[in-house]
Amino acid sequence: MQYMLIHAGAAGLDDAWNDEAWAALRDWLDEAIGSGVSIEGAPLQLDADATTVKVRDGQLIVTDGPYAETKEQVAGYDVIEVGSAEEAVRWARRHPHAWMGSVEVRALVGGGSAVHLPGPAAGKTRYMMLVCTDPAVERRESAAVEPVESWVTEMSNRGVRLFGGELEPAGSARTVRGKDPGAVVTDGPFADTKEQIAGFDVLECADLDEAIEVAAKHPMASGGIVEVRPFRSLTED
Amino acid sequence: MADVFRQEWGRINAALIHQTGDWDLAEECAQDAFAQALRRWPRDGVPDRPGAWLMTVARNGAIDRLRRSRSYRAKVEELAVMATRETGTPDDGQRDADPDAEDGGVPDERLRLIFTCCHPALAMEARVALTLRTLTGLSTTEIARAFLVPEATMAKRLVRAKHKITHARIPYRVPPASALPQRVPGVLAVLYLVFNEGYAASAGDDLIRRDLCDRAVGLAQVLAELLPEEPEAKGLLALMLFHRARQAARVNADGELVTLEDQDRARWDHTQIALARRIIEDAFAARRPGQYQLQAAIAGCHAAAATAQATDWPRIARLYQLLADMTGSPVVELNRAVAVAMADGPSAGLALLRRLEAGGALAGYYLLPATRADLLRRLGRDDEAASAYEEAAALVGTGPERRFLNARLAEVRPRDSG
Repeated sequence: MQYMLIHAGAAGLDDAWNDEAWAALRDWLDEAIGSGVSIEGAPLQLDADATTVKVRDGQLIVTDGPYAETKEQVAGYDVIEVGSAEEAVRWARRHPHAWMGSVEVRALVGGGSAVHLPGPAAGKTRYMMLVCTDPAVERRESAAVEPVESWVTEMSNRGVRLFGGELEPAGSARTVRGKDPGAVVTDGPFADTKEQIAGFDVLECADLDEAIEVAAKHPMASGGIVEVRPFRSLTED
Repeated sequence: MADVFRQEWGRINAALIHQTGDWDLAEECAQDAFAQALRRWPRDGVPDRPGAWLMTVARNGAIDRLRRSRSYRAKVEELAVMATRETGTPDDGQRDADPDAEDGGVPDERLRLIFTCCHPALAMEARVALTLRTLTGLSTTEIARAFLVPEATMAKRLVRAKHKITHARIPYRVPPASALPQRVPGVLAVLYLVFNEGYAASAGDDLIRRDLCDRAVGLAQVLAELLPEEPEAKGLLALMLFHRARQAARVNADGELVTLEDQDRARWDHTQIALARRIIEDAFAARRPGQYQLQAAIAGCHAAAATAQATDWPRIARLYQLLADMTGSPVVELNRAVAVAMADGPSAGLALLRRLEAGGALAGYYLLPATRADLLRRLGRDDEAASAYEEAAALVGTGPERRFLNARLAEVRPRDSG
């Protein structure tokens, strides 16, 4: 089974990345890879660099900022392939993000398949696209949202969608907070917002305009909210 | 010299950002070039082509800075800037073909800069600040004062916007023709917001605030020039010019606002009105009406009337009808009701108001009962007018609007006013 570990943290999270946190992350990765757990993940730019895309009545609405205003913001992710939900939570407990903020654990619908992404192509920017529900959209309309398959096929063939998946409902999420052995696991997502993450796709685009265009074509742009946010480049100055 | 600076700042910034992709470097080099001009021009005289002079100095500054940096990226940027210097020498063939070019051979990249600053992925307040800073050269301190926010807040807003442009890779380009209908309105909205901030400033306000009107007009001029195929850009420019032409007459000696009806029309700037009229006629020739063109046409009707009584209200009512059909805005509907009342009598206006009130979209908006009150007063239905004035006054808080409503209330209910 594949599980998404959603890293979340409050403002000032960057300052929490001290030597201890870096060492813990290194150990975490070494251990996971050593035990044969398949991992794909990356940190995101801060929510100030997020853009939200919606389509309402055929009109494209682009706004600055993340999909929801919350104290903690999505800061990165890992998708891990493990045998059970309990095992996924065990890995989440040991991730340094659990004590720097929180780690939400969510199963991918249908399990997904293991992926390793190489670095971005020259001149391209990689974006995390968070597909979210919007309670403001009437139930009747959200029920009429088109299936996502044709979007996935089109964007994968175009080379802009690298990887992604639908998540089990937020109600099934479990969130880990604190430092092991004292980490606390609670039921539910990291933020108790009306808008919830329902899926994600990793995009590789020429620029934000292309990412917005791709996001706007996603069926959930009409039936929900789609956020696009650049990944953090590891070679950034 | 201030005029040259204002014109050239945006052009230099736009060219350097295009060549280096580095917003901060561009700003520093533009700033250095202007500082040098301030030192040298008073001593050596203003050069024949001040714009080309500034561009050359700024570009050389950029090359120097990039040369001092050892990164690979800087080398690539340096080459990009050098390339424009090579092709942009004054004896370049293109220059001879275009003797009016004041840009030192560098193409005008301001349109890219405008579209990037006004990108929808930036917050509106960031778009406004970035546009004023990079295109008109207003300093961070001045923008902060103009928008009545602390300087640190404004500085943070600008830094954040530039970060997002870099991190999220907001492209530095003019959108393709197919995307223009979607993007142009966003740019026009930024310029109109800047204009209105300046227009709303009273005589007691900071000069910087009032200066926003001129900055907005300057930007609208650039946009109308660089987007000749967009009639709405011309429409916005004409609208701003019609409004600005009336600016001197809007305030009386006591600093109180004077309504359009009571303004001294001799104090209007008729040269500016004539210019605005030529621009709006030019825009309408494209036969693609839009909300700014219609608003400008309405402003033009008012400007054309020698007296308030001579206003062509039937035409204004028709224009508001078109505008209402286009925007679906209840505020436009309210204005239409006023125009219809002027054209066809207060009863016709009241009928429209009743429909608007039934719709409920303007509930709590004081101008709705205030307009009803005014129409009732003109019909001689003083008691009903009085309660409508009271209703409006209760919604408006304090200030000049409240004083105006109370004065009218006293007119229709003289005995109760004491």
